Amino acid sequence: MDLSSILLFIINKMNGERTLNAGLHLLRGKKSGQTLQDVEYFDLKPLFGIWPKLDEVLYQQTADELINKALITSDEKFCRLTEKGGVEVQHFQLPRFKGWDYRGREKVFFGRIALAVQTISYFRTGSTSFNPIQRDREIQLFVKRLLEGKPLTDPKFGKRISEELKRALVTSGISDRQKYIFANRLTGRGETAKTYDQLASELDSSPSAVYLLFIESLHMLLPVVENPENYPFLNKCAFDIKVHSYLTDSALRTKKLFDQGYSMKDISKTRNLKMSTIEDHIIEMATNDERFPVTHFVSKDTIQAVLSKSEEMGTKRLKLLKNEFQMLSYFELRLILTVNREGDS
Amino acid sequence: MDLQALLKERFGYSHFRPGQEEVIKHVLNKRDCIAILPTGMGKSLCYQLPGYIMPGSVLIISPLVSLMEDQVMQMRKNGEKRVVALNSFLSFTERSRILASLGNYKFIFVSPEMLSHKSFGLHLKKIEIGLIVIDEAHCISQWGFDFRPDYLRIGEFLSSYNSPILALTATADSKVINDITRYLKMNEPIIQRHSLDRPNISYSIIQLNSTLEKTDWIKERILQTTGPGIIYTSSRKRADELAFELQEAGVAIQSYHAGKEQDDRAIIQEQFLNNELEWISATNAFGMGVHKSDIRQVIHEHLPSTIAAYLQEVGRAGRDGRPAAATLLYIPVDERMTSFIIQSDRPDESQLRHYANMLSEGRDPSESAELAGMTDTGKRIVDYYLERHTLDEVLEVMDTLSAEKETELRKMLHLVRSEQCVREMVLSYFGEQCNEKPEACCSICGLEVLEWLTDKSLKKKTNELVSWDERITNLLG
Ligand SMILES: Nc1ncnc2c1ncn2[C@@H]1O[C@H](COP(=O)(O)OP(=O)(O)O)[C@@H](O)[C@H]1O
Ligand SMILES: [Zn+2]
Repeated sequence: MDLSSILLFIINKMNGERTLNAGLHLLRGKKSGQTLQDVEYFDLKPLFGIWPKLDEVLYQQTADELINKALITSDEKFCRLTEKGGVEVQHFQLPRFKGWDYRGREKVFFGRIALAVQTISYFRTGSTSFNPIQRDREIQLFVKRLLEGKPLTDPKFGKRISEELKRALVTSGISDRQKYIFANRLTGRGETAKTYDQLASELDSSPSAVYLLFIESLHMLLPVVENPENYPFLNKCAFDIKVHSYLTDSALRTKKLFDQGYSMKDISKTRNLKMSTIEDHIIEMATNDERFPVTHFVSKDTIQAVLSKSEEMGTKRLKLLKNEFQMLSYFELRLILTVNREGDS
Repeated sequence: MDLQALLKERFGYSHFRPGQEEVIKHVLNKRDCIAILPTGMGKSLCYQLPGYIMPGSVLIISPLVSLMEDQVMQMRKNGEKRVVALNSFLSFTERSRILASLGNYKFIFVSPEMLSHKSFGLHLKKIEIGLIVIDEAHCISQWGFDFRPDYLRIGEFLSSYNSPILALTATADSKVINDITRYLKMNEPIIQRHSLDRPNISYSIIQLNSTLEKTDWIKERILQTTGPGIIYTSSRKRADELAFELQEAGVAIQSYHAGKEQDDRAIIQEQFLNNELEWISATNAFGMGVHKSDIRQVIHEHLPSTIAAYLQEVGRAGRDGRPAAATLLYIPVDERMTSFIIQSDRPDESQLRHYANMLSEGRDPSESAELAGMTDTGKRIVDYYLERHTLDEVLEVMDTLSAEKETELRKMLHLVRSEQCVREMVLSYFGEQCNEKPEACCSICGLEVLEWLTDKSLKKKTNELVSWDERITNLLG
């Protein structure tokens, strides 16, 4: 797995109906209506936000390589797989990301582990002064609270954490290469972590591939440590990492009003937001809630009609569907496509 | 009060370093003071020690959050628990908690923007402030990437306190001293200056013809001479490029700049401190808050924009007092490059008018700045001046500032091209005379082959590759 195979996978899913940039927004986890909707339409939740700081240049380079290898074609509007690309993508095994659940927060999880490990490593060898490898104040405070009153100098304590960590890594099912990367992102006394560049040259790989393997390993580790009895330490490190509300803050506020029975127009007025923003929020709500009352907005028959047409035409492009259903608004069409996700997966 | 005894008891040092005792005495006599001490000479002691004598708390205004966190960490490491940092990165609850118990802290570090928070001012009024310190005070008279409008507002804030003010800086010429006095509204400050000369550092300035020649020079140099060292470059791309070339040649080097992932940056710094890396190639983002005393070489492969900035970076070498070498490589096009960089944040007249227009129409400031094509720094500068001047005045200010920058660059260029002793020139720029030249002075005075420099006995630490579970065992047991 590397960035180029992931990109190929995304473009395949997007079915020639999105621009190249849609993939960048997806990987960065952009919280715009369009991206959130794409995630849903094209079944790309696992890849959402797996690389928040993805560099545009790197992304473009990767895409250019795919174009040069004639695996994809891209014009101003759309980007699609070539026949050759279609064959290539068959060999691709979807990595086990859970981007939708963690959205970049997995790095906080790791940051806490890294700082705790460093602290224990120093204390157990009799030194209490070191440069914290995590600069983030919030992580520092978290770890301080986590380790408060713990027998840091007792060798048994370090051993227990060591044993728990190894057990979790094995249980998570990550590859040996990933275990190696994980262990080498940890710092302790006399053992500094390695950068992605350094690991890439050791493993004869690319920095971006190492990065992606690392993030995937965190996404595989996190579900394992949900059990506090088996993983008391790691479970605490995972506190508040998984998103519990999948809505953006702003959408959450809209939801409150919506639940109180306000109309979309009222909400738009009360919140002093454009109608299109409120529409985005409604779509976001529908995306995240199976029981969302779609029939508030469109009838069952209409939904059925749109879905069969979409199937028949083999497209989810709003513009084409709009031609067929002049009486429906774009918003209604979007809503219909969104709630149907359950059905076709 | 026996200062010497307190020094021993609290800090474990038996002597003051030059300048420290004088500054401490001025402060204890409640005089305003501007202390100019070279980096690494121990400026922080100048307010820490008085803190233990004076009643009340010491308020330290510090320009960079990272620097502030670093200092607080250092003090905690040394056993001082009554120290706290207040900046806008704190959560609301945490900040409220600290503010409610502000008087319990002996040392309070704040970022300049905190001063404009009402609640902070209110809480501060309730406690006794024995001393106010402005760290890195030269920031007051700068613009460019480190321009801090909040810094210029400190004076307005300070005018309601009558505690003595201590301004600390590593480099200040007479213009900077004037700016500091004026903006901080200091009351006849005593200027305590310690010579900026670092006799253990030798200066070389080498003229070359192309970037390629620079690369070759650096490669040969690094393969034949000792680290640890820093190479300063003008761009992230160049820093990466050099790191790559040198890695290929087997050098333990990594690049460091703001474009790298946060965790990777911390890792690189730590590896450098632990001698797992011998060299760093970096933009000027590297160095602040890096405490490494055995740096043997600093190489500039671009033209710094001011002599002060140059000196600050060079000053990171040889803090242990042992010999160190500073080298500046120069090719004629560097002048244009640096000039371009320093002017890049300066909005031109049409941009400025466009921006001001949009503001008067009530549009969002950030959006307007973007539409007008202004950089973030450019916006900060303009906002500050627009708050207190008319548009035409601001245009004039921009011209002045930009001319000043250009003058600074001219001086740097003059230094690089001159046939005069580098040490003498640098010192004279800061109004100092060079009384005694060390044997290894500079490339103009003539440098013999420096023996220590070619001593490659420093063994880089190489950790063996071990399996993942072995590594975890090594770390945790
Ligand atoms: N009187 C002294 N004797 C010995 N070491 C000192 C003395 N004063 C300061 N130091 C040490 O010098 C180093 C640099 O001090 P610091 O205040 O960080 O320097 P600056 O802020 O001037 O760069 C610190 O490690 C400090 O402990
Ligand atoms: Zn000389």
